[in-house]
Amino acid sequence: MAVMAPRRGEKLLAWGLLLPCLAAVCAFAFWPIVYSFVLSLHRIVLGLPGLGEPFVGLGNYARLLADPTARSSAGITLVFVAVSTLCEVALGTLMALALDRSFRGRGLVRAAVLVPWAIPTVVASQMWRFILNDRYGLLNWLIFGDQVGSYRAWLAEPGWALAAVIGADVWKTSAFAALIVLAGLQTIPRELNEAAALDGAGSWQRFRHLTLPLVLPALAVALVFRTMDAFRVFDLVYVMTQGGPANATNVLQFYGYKKMFAEGFMGYGSAVSVMVFVMVLAVSLLYLRLVGRRLLRGDAR
Amino acid sequence: MPARPPCYSETVARLKTIAALGLALAITLGVAGCGQKADEPNTIRLVAWKFNNPGLWRRLADQFEKQHPPLKVALEIGPHSSTSYHDLLTQKLKNRSNEVDVFLMDVIWPPEFASAGWALPLDDLFPAEQRELFVPAAMRAASWRGRVYGAPLYLTAGVLYYRRDLLERYRLPVPRTWPQMVSQAKLITAQEKGDLAGYSGQFKQYEGLVCDMLEFVWSAGGKALGGEGQRCLLEGPAALKAVRFVRDALIGGAAPRGVLAYQEPESLSLFAQGGSVFLRNWFYAWPILNDAQRSQVAGKVGLAPLPRFSGGRSAACLGGWQVGLSAYSSKPTQALKLIKFLTSETVQRRLVLEEGLAPTRTGLYQDPWVLKAQPHFAKLLPVLEGARPRPRTPLYPAVSQVMQVYFHRAISDKDSDLPELAGRAAQDIDRLLGLAGGQ
Repeated sequence: MAVMAPRRGEKLLAWGLLLPCLAAVCAFAFWPIVYSFVLSLHRIVLGLPGLGEPFVGLGNYARLLADPTARSSAGITLVFVAVSTLCEVALGTLMALALDRSFRGRGLVRAAVLVPWAIPTVVASQMWRFILNDRYGLLNWLIFGDQVGSYRAWLAEPGWALAAVIGADVWKTSAFAALIVLAGLQTIPRELNEAAALDGAGSWQRFRHLTLPLVLPALAVALVFRTMDAFRVFDLVYVMTQGGPANATNVLQFYGYKKMFAEGFMGYGSAVSVMVFVMVLAVSLLYLRLVGRRLLRGDAR
Repeated sequence: MPARPPCYSETVARLKTIAALGLALAITLGVAGCGQKADEPNTIRLVAWKFNNPGLWRRLADQFEKQHPPLKVALEIGPHSSTSYHDLLTQKLKNRSNEVDVFLMDVIWPPEFASAGWALPLDDLFPAEQRELFVPAAMRAASWRGRVYGAPLYLTAGVLYYRRDLLERYRLPVPRTWPQMVSQAKLITAQEKGDLAGYSGQFKQYEGLVCDMLEFVWSAGGKALGGEGQRCLLEGPAALKAVRFVRDALIGGAAPRGVLAYQEPESLSLFAQGGSVFLRNWFYAWPILNDAQRSQVAGKVGLAPLPRFSGGRSAACLGGWQVGLSAYSSKPTQALKLIKFLTSETVQRRLVLEEGLAPTRTGLYQDPWVLKAQPHFAKLLPVLEGARPRPRTPLYPAVSQVMQVYFHRAISDKDSDLPELAGRAAQDIDRLLGLAGGQ
């Protein structure tokens, strides 16, 4: 159909229909970000209203950069993001490849794989706390059996506690990555694979030169989603370790939460969340530069 | 765009536009409208933390409603963890919500709630002759700058639970000092078969860690904060000695390393399953430990004041809850009635007899009914009289966070550089106190 200028009435209708959505996005997405930023420029201590709420410019950010706890939290967050995202996407791809084959009961297995992802995070975290318990935890029993003397307190050791939180996240969200990659795999026409097989390509060659390039856009999407989500990790830490032992799992989001809601430093806590926002934004822009153009061009085929 | 059917008219199109806009408006207003609640003049909103037996609040509310018609109590029960409950409650108060009239307050909160202007003073309920009826430590904890902000509801404190049967078998006295307790634990665990631990307590990085650690510090003659000038004293020799003792003699010594991840329930269940000789816990553990359904050591448990270091005095950390009045309540007169009711002698007696909660009124510790039902209460009053509140400052939550991290670092690493860690914690705490002092 030829391009026609939309009539005024239709334009009005379009805006009218968009309005609630726009209002919701502004109220629930933009406004909190702007408000957090405004808060982060003030010194607000809830317990001390006598101090007022003076404007301190970028003072909170200057303190944040010099705060050793914040720095170590940033490091822990980066480790968490890097390790968990890589593991999840790798594991998710393997799961997707397995689920893409046709076998009896495939529907059932596909549904079963999604179970960890469907469990609310708080419930899953609580379950991991039990599994990792030093006295009655399943993990100790599996590894050491009756040798109660060598049972370990996984969540009490700084290194192990971080590994445990990462492990719980990988367990929980690999299925999500698998789902996205699986969707990508399903768009690859079966004939391509059959043709390659006829031409004598081995299964590794078919994966490397055929499946992988074609599924790359889906992989990229999974990577972006998981990275952004990983930066915002909070509930796992809240339930499993509360940032301990000795702050070894004190990720930035949890640190900001503690500053704001437990200690009442609204300004400083907001500065922490703005920093997390900036980090997520930077990473998303980076991803968009690296893989986004290809995605935006549409289907890689 | 699909072609329009021939019967399509401008009127219908306009009607559709109006309907769509109306729907959009309704959605927008609907979203904005939720969150408003009608304010019933006779309904008092009580926000409580989730007590071990949550049915208690409803039963008390029912009794109040019977005695004070036409007043009604609307209950909101928050999380079990004091810290999470604090987050929820302060969130409401910060927003000046009229959904709170009366709230439960942990003993450590009055300075914060008073100076933030969230809690109203209750001086009218507590003239001098009333104050004398309450346990002094409870009254001290409820006050800030000479005014009372919390009506003391019930108390608790740290005590030592021990396996009476084991101490008798090895002819050992109830330990009076910490080193004595550790050597007894070593002797017993070496002789007994199986995986018996010596000591169990709360050493996870959370508020409970501060309680446990301050008891060690206090009983060595140390202090967390000093005097009215308020300076952090964790670098002092007595405080360092206490922390070093916990790190070297308890964690990985008499206690399993797992206690570094224990809160109250885990530490209690270890002892209740017969897994340790000693346990530090609050008053609430006594009825549970002596309930054969829930404990394998029922009838074999003893209770004593916490040990001390030689030259120091046994010091229990004071815990418990108070009732506060919200500054944003639209019906303070009615709310005060509820507060008066909750701290009345009748309710206090009910709390002891039905729930085993330690009352805040001193007289009830000599009450024949109470002593008949709960004979161990005779031992609790002296503990409460020697109990100490945690440091008192409006920024206590922040100060506690610094202490939690310091203590956990210090005791979880065998080679931690204690003076260095303590120095850094003291610096942070002094900065916070400076902020509070500059108000």
